[in-house]
Amino acid sequence: MEVTLKIFRYNPEVDQKFHYETYTLEAEETDRVLDVLERIKGQKDGTLSFRRSCAHGVCGSDALRINGRNMLACKTLVRDVGEKITVEPILGLKVIKDLIVDMEPFFDNYKKILPYFINESPLPADGKERLQSAEARARFDETTKCILCACCTTSCPSFWASDDYLGPAALVTAHRFIFDDRDEAAAERMQIISETSGLARCHTAYNCTLACPREIPITQAIGELKMVSVTGKLD
Amino acid sequence: MATKSRTLPLSKRGLNFEMLMWIFTRLSALAMYALILFGVIGALIMGARNQMSFADILRWGFMPNSTHVQSTNVPDLAPWSSFLWNLTATLLLLVGTAHGVHGLVVIADDYVTSPRGRLVLRFLSIVTMISISIIGAYVLWAL
Repeated sequence: MEVTLKIFRYNPEVDQKFHYETYTLEAEETDRVLDVLERIKGQKDGTLSFRRSCAHGVCGSDALRINGRNMLACKTLVRDVGEKITVEPILGLKVIKDLIVDMEPFFDNYKKILPYFINESPLPADGKERLQSAEARARFDETTKCILCACCTTSCPSFWASDDYLGPAALVTAHRFIFDDRDEAAAERMQIISETSGLARCHTAYNCTLACPREIPITQAIGELKMVSVTGKLD
Repeated sequence: MATKSRTLPLSKRGLNFEMLMWIFTRLSALAMYALILFGVIGALIMGARNQMSFADILRWGFMPNSTHVQSTNVPDLAPWSSFLWNLTATLLLLVGTAHGVHGLVVIADDYVTSPRGRLVLRFLSIVTMISISIIGAYVLWAL
């Protein structure tokens, strides 16, 4: 089948303003959008820039806005988006070149919520590992799946308005640690995510849940964090 | 392996102004539903089914003020302008104004990101909220 890709282009060294370029090429309906982008870069226009790494939906490098929705190019098949495909960078972050955005504000917000395991208690008697029940592990299973692709955060209207909002991805990671019964910094993290640019800025638009390529119920996770504010319960 | 129950004490849940207002917005929405239902049930008990149209009953439900039944077939206005209904209307006014103004602040916060801008916005919102509440209460009780 013949597919037409309309791709957002911006080269800060040459362009005053962004523009779109259109490429038409043959593709299988089972090709991924990333395959088609690779073919354009390899065969038609070597100046096209985009991020990719593992190409298997694990690294989260190739989050793009495809036909107006945030997706991973490596997990999106041509047949799922049709013959006319518009590819743009994810919104709310500064475009560096073409489809590459500056992820720094995203990771700055991520770092704020202390995204690492904190436990100052002495190690168990065997000196090896802090055991956890299967039920306790299941409590935050969904939010361990985040690959930090930023599909959720850059689909959030509150983040578009102001990148000081922590954003869904940071809150998902906060959820992952706050509900981990081995972690001891839940109170500290609750304090951080309750700031002006935290939990209360989530207006439950649900864009994040729809955008997540890992199908994490993000809005639900944020709702559970809000309920911690009310009930204090971490189970 | 036993899982111990974990609960954060009240002082460690991050319950700052933002989160308290988030809770208030949810509870005030429920309170408004309850007050409107109370108004509608009260009107039906007072015989509104035979004396008012459905639209008039809803108008009363959303703001149980006796002026809202003046143009209906209600023959005697006295039971409709009692202390209880004035109080219900006042509660709806206060809760609704606070709920609505805070909602506007939350939306405006998406566009005003400087601390000074947000301070000005909050000041103007509080002034607006207090003014509407005072004028509304005056209309309900004094006119």
